[in-house]
Amino acid sequence: MSKKILLLSSVIFLSSCATTNISELGDKFLDLINPSDAATEEAILGGEETLVAMDQTGGFTIDELEALSNDELIAIAQEKGLEDLILLDEDGNLLNRDQIINAIVESAALLESKSEELEMMSDDELIEVAVAKGLGEEIVLDADGNLANRDEIIEALVESAAATEAAISEFGNIADSFTLYFAYDDTEIDEVATRIIIQHANFMQSNPSVNLRLEGHADERGTREYNLALGENRALSVKEVLGLYNLDDRIIVVSYGEEQPILTGSNEEAWEKNRRVELVYY
Amino acid sequence: MKLTKLLIFFTAFISFSAQALLEVNIIKTREAAFPIVIAPFEVVGSSTNVDIAKIIRNNLNRSGQFNALTTEALITNQIDFNFWQEHKKDAVVFGKIEQVSAKVYNVYIYIYDVFSQKSLYQKKIRVHNSGFRRIAHFLSDKIYYVLLGQKGAFDTRLSYVTVTENSSGGRTYKLQISDSDGFNPQTVVRSSNPILSPAWSRDQKKLAYVSFKNNRSEVFVMTPFMKTVPIKLPKFDGIASSPTWHPSGESIALTISKQGNKDIYLYNFKSEKLERLTKNISIDTEASFSPDGTKIAFTSNRTGQVQVYIKDLKSGKISRATFEGRYNAKPVFSPDGKDLALIHRVGKDYRLALLDIASRDLTVMTQNKSDESPYFSPNGGMIIYSTNRDNKGILSIISLHNNQVVELMQKEGEVREPSWSNYSN
Repeated sequence: MSKKILLLSSVIFLSSCATTNISELGDKFLDLINPSDAATEEAILGGEETLVAMDQTGGFTIDELEALSNDELIAIAQEKGLEDLILLDEDGNLLNRDQIINAIVESAALLESKSEELEMMSDDELIEVAVAKGLGEEIVLDADGNLANRDEIIEALVESAAATEAAISEFGNIADSFTLYFAYDDTEIDEVATRIIIQHANFMQSNPSVNLRLEGHADERGTREYNLALGENRALSVKEVLGLYNLDDRIIVVSYGEEQPILTGSNEEAWEKNRRVELVYY
Repeated sequence: MKLTKLLIFFTAFISFSAQALLEVNIIKTREAAFPIVIAPFEVVGSSTNVDIAKIIRNNLNRSGQFNALTTEALITNQIDFNFWQEHKKDAVVFGKIEQVSAKVYNVYIYIYDVFSQKSLYQKKIRVHNSGFRRIAHFLSDKIYYVLLGQKGAFDTRLSYVTVTENSSGGRTYKLQISDSDGFNPQTVVRSSNPILSPAWSRDQKKLAYVSFKNNRSEVFVMTPFMKTVPIKLPKFDGIASSPTWHPSGESIALTISKQGNKDIYLYNFKSEKLERLTKNISIDTEASFSPDGTKIAFTSNRTGQVQVYIKDLKSGKISRATFEGRYNAKPVFSPDGKDLALIHRVGKDYRLALLDIASRDLTVMTQNKSDESPYFSPNGGMIIYSTNRDNKGILSIISLHNNQVVELMQKEGEVREPSWSNYSN
């Protein structure tokens, strides 16, 4: 619980640092339609804590990991967003040491492949990716306009990818929901959905390297092509609210119409669950 | 000459297996149907495994226009007209299959009027043994025309999407084409992501469809009879969907979302340019061209309700077509351009309905809960659409002559999104 508050408060602190006119407007708008929102209440707690796991990327060999103490392993696992895997006994000792080591190695392998992928890119492609990830200021060009600090940029991008992974996985533990529901043939965002969207907006503002895909869905009633359009409109109405936080550039919208129901069956219960927008980070 | 060309085309592309993937059920009894007899064809030489007479009989019965029965004995040139008059049959059809060489046969057909006792039609056709089903459909169209004076729609093809659960818990989507009776199914696209809205070009050579293979809806065009890679139409920032061919085949209307605004555009293959056909902040989608290409019917929620509109492409005028009910969608023009088939909401149910455009009369055609995707047979005599039977997607064909319904279903999985090809050339 205390950890949750700490994270929330740091999220709020960071988002308040990043305020712009537009996001202020957005906050005001959201406060208006939803005055009891948790964000305004907890803003008082605002502190200077930063999110954990922002700076850890280094790869470990299996030997190095096996030499570490349980506590050190747990710390690294947490940094890598793997705390869900950690199993402790009553005395707080790590029960699944081997599993944790494997998971850390695997997550390092993921980063390795990320790094390989970046190595393959041309300078121009790298610069494009770096700018997209908010690393534009770190780019150094030589006299001929070539990328002078290629290795550093790749390293920074890998770090940023690791941080993104960790932040998304961490947010997965505290977010109320990653799904928003809608009424029949409707794209209106209700109060419950608004509250969830605010939480996600704050998360995105504190994690500038995180991108969001909004996946709109419809229930089976009505025609398929109309439902495809309706699903997109649902996702767009979520994007509109997030846009008040100036997050437009980091959001893509897709629609699956009625093609991917959560529940099959022709009844109100299934339809309710299927009229939805899913928030997917990447 | 024309026929020879047709047969070459046929032998080149149809797969060797002729089993039906779709099971066929005829639901309603035949009323006011033309009573005829189609005798088994006499076989001279080694027999074939295709029962031409049976295929013809099934075709004619499925149309709702005929009550075609078989006979126990073969009919040859000695026809007992009095016997058939007593049994109230109006016409007698019989034929012969004669082997010419290992794989080549002559097929003869004779149609007689029972009352005038005169020959109405007779023909000899040379056919490769892989072409028997196609010949049966071709002859069905002949009989239909000779006896009714109208074109049949048997020598045509269906396209549709099947969905099955695979062993790993996901779904497999297949875009298939088949003969008009559901036989000869061939998979032309297979995907683990949804496939929607297949649409035949008028010359039957191309299919446009929507695929989610790149995790978003995109429109592709493929040539099912040539093994070419489907071509993706230009990419846009939102959904691209609901393709429909202009009768000329030179362009395709589709729904494109730009900055989130879904409108109907016309994409020209030659100029590679897009022309915007609708301009409204609401959803405009599900376009269908009138047979002469001068109008489109489409679905829009511009008034807050989902209704069908028609745009005259010359004058630019848009007029509302549906006034009954709160939900009318997915319109498609009849081949004579006078009617629209569409999906109409009745209470909680979505049913196939027929709209007379001029009089605005709307006729609900079924008692189903969730009809979708109507499409006319090219002669306008039938509508194919998808619906649900026991929580499973099936195809239905309704005869506009007497409302007889034929159901086509898969043993496993669903079948949906039907579209009917035009006549072959």
